[in-house]
Amino acid sequence: MKLSATYAFQDPGETLFAALVDPAILQKCIDGCEKMEKTGEDSYNAHLKIGVAGIKGSYVGKVRVDEKKPPESFTLHVEGKGGPGWVKGKAKIQILPKGEGSELLCESEGQVGGLIAQVGSRLVEAVGKKMQDEFFRKLGQQLRNTSVPGK
Amino acid sequence: MYLTEELAAKGKVARGYVGRAMKRVEDPRLIKGIASYVDDLKIPGMLYAQFVRSPHAHAEIKSILTDGAKVLPGLVGIFTGADLNDKLGTIPCASPISGGRSPQHTVLAGKRVYFVGHPVAVVVAETRAIARDAVDLVDVDYEPLPAVMDPEKALQEDSALTHPELGTNVAFIWKLPAGDVDAAFKEADKVFKLRTVQPRVTPMAIEPRGCVASWHAGESSLTLWTSTQVPHLVRTLLPDLIRIPENKLRIVTPEVGGGFGSKLNLYAEEVVISHLAMRLERPVKWIEGRRENAATTIHGRDQVAESEIAIRNDGTVLAIRSKIIADVGSYCQLLTPAIPTLTGLMLCGCYKLKAVLAEVTGVHTNKMSTDAYRGAGRPEATYMIERIMDLVAGELGMDQVQVRLKNMPQPTEFPFNTATGLTYDSGNYQAALAKAQDLAEWPKLLQERETARKEGRLFGIGLSTYVEICALGPSKIMAAGGWEWGCVRIEISGKVTVITGATPHGQGQETSFAQIAADWLGIPMEDIVVLRGDTATAHFGRDTYGSRATALGGTAIVMSIEKIIEKAKKLAAALLNSKPEEIEFENGKFFVKGKLEETIEWGRLASEAYIAKNLPPGLEPGLEASSFFEPSNCTFPFGTHIVAVDVERDTGHVNILKYVAVDDCGKQVNPLLVEGQVQGGITQSLGTALMERTVYDESGQLLTGEFMDYAIPRAPDIPEYILGSTETPSPSNPLGVKGVGEAGTIGATPAIANAVIDALSPLGIRHLDLPFTPERVWRAMKEKEARS
Amino acid sequence: MIPAMFDYVRPATLEEALGHLAKYGEDAKVLAGGHSLIPAMKLRLSQPKVVVDIGRIGDLRFIEERDGKIAIGAMTTHYDIESSDLLKRSCPLLPEVADKIGDIQVRNKGTIGGSCVHADPAGDWPAAMLALDAEFEITGPRGSRPVAAKDFFVDMLTSAVEPGEILKLIRLPLTAKTVGYAKFTQKASGFAIAGVAAVVDKARKSVTIGVTGVAAKAYRAAGVESALSGSELSTANIGTASQKAADGVDPLSDIHASAEFRAHLACVQTRRALELAVSRLP
Repeated sequence: MKLSATYAFQDPGETLFAALVDPAILQKCIDGCEKMEKTGEDSYNAHLKIGVAGIKGSYVGKVRVDEKKPPESFTLHVEGKGGPGWVKGKAKIQILPKGEGSELLCESEGQVGGLIAQVGSRLVEAVGKKMQDEFFRKLGQQLRNTSVPGK
Repeated sequence: MYLTEELAAKGKVARGYVGRAMKRVEDPRLIKGIASYVDDLKIPGMLYAQFVRSPHAHAEIKSILTDGAKVLPGLVGIFTGADLNDKLGTIPCASPISGGRSPQHTVLAGKRVYFVGHPVAVVVAETRAIARDAVDLVDVDYEPLPAVMDPEKALQEDSALTHPELGTNVAFIWKLPAGDVDAAFKEADKVFKLRTVQPRVTPMAIEPRGCVASWHAGESSLTLWTSTQVPHLVRTLLPDLIRIPENKLRIVTPEVGGGFGSKLNLYAEEVVISHLAMRLERPVKWIEGRRENAATTIHGRDQVAESEIAIRNDGTVLAIRSKIIADVGSYCQLLTPAIPTLTGLMLCGCYKLKAVLAEVTGVHTNKMSTDAYRGAGRPEATYMIERIMDLVAGELGMDQVQVRLKNMPQPTEFPFNTATGLTYDSGNYQAALAKAQDLAEWPKLLQERETARKEGRLFGIGLSTYVEICALGPSKIMAAGGWEWGCVRIEISGKVTVITGATPHGQGQETSFAQIAADWLGIPMEDIVVLRGDTATAHFGRDTYGSRATALGGTAIVMSIEKIIEKAKKLAAALLNSKPEEIEFENGKFFVKGKLEETIEWGRLASEAYIAKNLPPGLEPGLEASSFFEPSNCTFPFGTHIVAVDVERDTGHVNILKYVAVDDCGKQVNPLLVEGQVQGGITQSLGTALMERTVYDESGQLLTGEFMDYAIPRAPDIPEYILGSTETPSPSNPLGVKGVGEAGTIGATPAIANAVIDALSPLGIRHLDLPFTPERVWRAMKEKEARS
Repeated sequence: MIPAMFDYVRPATLEEALGHLAKYGEDAKVLAGGHSLIPAMKLRLSQPKVVVDIGRIGDLRFIEERDGKIAIGAMTTHYDIESSDLLKRSCPLLPEVADKIGDIQVRNKGTIGGSCVHADPAGDWPAAMLALDAEFEITGPRGSRPVAAKDFFVDMLTSAVEPGEILKLIRLPLTAKTVGYAKFTQKASGFAIAGVAAVVDKARKSVTIGVTGVAAKAYRAAGVESALSGSELSTANIGTASQKAADGVDPLSDIHASAEFRAHLACVQTRRALELAVSRLP
């Protein structure tokens, strides 16, 4: 599953970048991230509750940020395993100045395995898209402005 | 002359059960829900097992932590590969191909997992719910490895390896050079190529697998109840694996809710559960879930073939060169390598090819193993050859019927030796074809097609004239005996118990074997009970697969009855003060030749035989006989299926408008059972043709893991079948029967495929592969439109 | 297929049910017909601590005409709807849709309320609810609130019913016979790959179109509706307008139908649903 989307923010790239690599903000933006513990430079153990509405699974996993090139790009890795199987995602994020604010390009790749792949295949892509949109919507909230999903 | 006819001619068949359409004696209990399946079995003290399975297609197991699960109240034990693998043998493949390379198939995963669903550990608990809870608490740490998913790419040098220790993904290569292929190609006026793809399918028996093992400590013996087609093969194979003598092992097969080949195996779970019952000294039950079934019970088909076909301008098909890639999955199960070799052997279909070169490459991938699925290799061959016949017709502008007739052997040419070295026992392919055309109202059908095409509708007619191989035996071609065993016992009361080793499990032989025995003994069918499926009563057997039970098991029963009659004549002679050679047997009565006024029936004979006060000197008490029947050859049923379809232009949806099948399975013991088998077979094949396919994604995840995503035909998908038959007896067994369990599955898919492609032919579509899902058909139409 | 441990309560009244929901909050899940919740629980994709079975609350299962509208209780089964003479006369789209849901066993147990609240992107009801401009009455601790269909289906598997609330009934308009539901079925599940409900109002020369199965949530095919607004419902016009059935939509994609095929089927089924409705014009 691959997704590519752009989001517009009113903040300059530097603010956006700083927020995105800040674990406290990351945790608030990753939908269903209940806990994050630092395990090293830019890497964390995480408890994730992922899904939609009543159909949610609990996962224990890792969140990691690498390939940091402030203020324009970095890669975010999230992986988890739990009763419903496993999830793994990688998002390459590029931040470009646009007018007063900035535009963010997110190219992500996700994989799921086990039960969720077996029974949820029709919804996985839509859930992934929703989670990504949700991530940036929450980021917008954290920055006290609103992200506008582009195309 | 065949026995039934012979006896009938002499007026010896009392009631003539054989040949009559009779309802199955097993049905009332099945319909009422009072039959017993494995899961109905409850034994005091029984524990429940659940398997922890890999969610990865290929991964290294870094660690398995069981502490979290062990604290659950009611948990009895958790066992991993480290606990079990060195105590148990490996899962056998009974049909290895020389030079092939396959990994050690341990009962649980060792350091690596090789497919989604691979068992990694087993938990045992006091209740099923606790076992299920425990599964979630076993923490396995995996390091994912690249998954090998595409069998063709798996053969490339730079491919990742399913089993790195083998150094190759090639499981085996099997070659069948038959006849002078090069000469035949030189002789050809035309040569054309065809690529065919047989998608992987999931058998999806309604009852998943399951077993209960119970250890009898006092006797040091084990009983295993298992939902299998082959209790006798399990009893042959299992003792070595669990280190128990064969005579301390009893296998019981209660009712089986569908097998279709998927329960023709020895599975790791059966070995593990048996071992756990011995180890824990308590009965253990395991019932497979639906998703487990989809992921970890064998799959079928999955072949890609690149063929070259040499033809003459008059429509003669001279030779085929075919490179077949068979995706065997991660391990070779019991018959995995044998299945695609059957494809090679049956590649001639019902045609007089001069030469065939088949090269089968079995390829390991990170998927569940493929093995026998209803038809097992023959549907693949029939699909290829029947697509080829239509393409030959297309190449030469010939009629699809004419091209087939041109290449068929005449009825007088039987037994007919094929280029691939088989001897087709008997046949009249032209008669079945003619009858099917008749039932289909062929000229009218052609007219309808013409009208439809003028109106711009996509209407197609498809045909398949198939031949298949069944009644497997004889022993010389089988891994471990191709005979069948049967026993007949006249009880003291005169009632009759028939015991078969053929283990019917839904095919209806409790009825058809009773019909046979009733006719041969001259008694009412109601007096006969047919026992099956328990190695403690059916001492020997080679079980049901390859449409063998009636041809072989039925014959073993007839042989046993003949022995009993011989003995009964001796006893009757003593009772009638005559000599055995003077005694006649007709309609269940023994009498001295010409003296019909004084007769002895089975009831009196039986009581004399067992009470044993009036036995002639030297005659043993009792009236029981058992027999092994060893066939001289396989049998080769055949037939013609004709299908008319229309295809919706805007959605690609295929409607079946007419379905005609004429099958020749030799003599029919019970035409109702034959019809049921044909209907079921066609329906399963209709699934293969129109909707079924097992889908793994690129990373090896199974996307068709249950009925929400794996489509099988339901009642509204099934058209009315117009069925007919011809009857060409087999000379391979005295009943003259051939077998019909798989015929429908073999004949139907190519007929539907040919019909769909015929419907699409006005658009310039020459070939399209299975399954004809709406999107696939729609895309094919769209691509043609875009080009034109 | 064994769910995780849960408690089970079976309230006799709606008030009692709301009380349980208030008490257990997000740990509670409402059980209606159970055809979505139970499978999800057996797969352990849903692990509520308390299941509140509203199956014995009698006043949630009815089909009535009230104040010039149809009112259907949330616990009304698909079969109740399929076999209702009142609906066949006065809101025929509903029996037509009900007839195409699952199989007879599903229709005997599954409920319209459960299905709508579950908001499966391929469920049949959302298409009809949107096309009919249904109104949902949701009840909760602060009383009842009406929600229009267009606001009810919030997202994939998400309806406007909040934790602590229960869908009570659905209000629908009386319509003429000029309706149609055209469903392209996913062979395995019986759900819609593209299900289109059309309501034709001849007098006003307007049509409404609800589409399910195509996108993450059911939607109104606004492009088709406006193209046909005020125009003659000729075969040609319907054909052209139907081409807009997936405009502006991000179609789902899975092994049964790619996004492209789904979008195409949305158009085909829209045309078929409209033709069906128009064929029923007196």
